[in-house]
Amino acid sequence: MDYRQNADRDELRARFTAWLDTLLKRAKLNYLERECEEPHESLDSLDEDQLPATEDAYMQTLFSDDPFGFTEERLAKAFSELPLMRQQILKLLFVDEMKPRDIAKILNCSAQYVSNQKQKGLKYLRKTIVEGGDIDG
Amino acid sequence: MDKTEFQIILQGAIAGNHNDFEKLITIYDPLIDKHCFINGKHDDDLKQYLLMHLALNINKFII
Repeated sequence: MDYRQNADRDELRARFTAWLDTLLKRAKLNYLERECEEPHESLDSLDEDQLPATEDAYMQTLFSDDPFGFTEERLAKAFSELPLMRQQILKLLFVDEMKPRDIAKILNCSAQYVSNQKQKGLKYLRKTIVEGGDIDG
Repeated sequence: MDKTEFQIILQGAIAGNHNDFEKLITIYDPLIDKHCFINGKHDDDLKQYLLMHLALNINKFII
C-alpha cells in the first residue's frame, strides 16, 4: 500500500495527505525547537574519564568544594560522615541560606523531612564533636 | 485500495479505532518517515513524537 496510490483521483485522500504533511512539518518544528531549548548530552558521547566511576564518586564531586570552609578538622570529618542527602540539606540550609520549603521543592521531598534531616545532622555533628573533647561549651 | 475502503479506515482512525489507525500509519509510513530525518540521519525519537502527535490530533481532521 502506498499513500501516493490513487491520490490524484481521491479527493478525500489527497486532502488528508496534504493535511498530514502539514501536521508532520509543524510537529517536527515543535520537536526541534524543544530540542534546542533543552540541550542535553548523551552519556554515550562523553569520554569514560569524564564520567565518575560510581554514583558515590559523583556525589563526592558535588561536595568536594567544602562549601562550609571548615577550619575544625574533626567537624569536617564528622560532616563528611553524614549521609549525602543530609550533607546536601545542611549545605543548602546554612551555606545557601535557603528555606526548608524551597529545599523540599528542589529535592522533591517534604519540608518536614528537611527539618528532620537538619535536626539529625546537627545532633550527629554535636555528638561527634563533644565526644572528641577539648571543644569549648 | 479504493476510495470507500480508505474512507472507512480514515473514519475509524478518527473515531479512535486502533486497527484502523495502524492501517493508516502503514499506508502513510513513507510520508511519516520522510519527516523523521535530522541532518540526514533517521531519528527514532522524532518518529515516536510524530506518531504520538498524529494519534493525538487525527480527530481534528474534518472529513
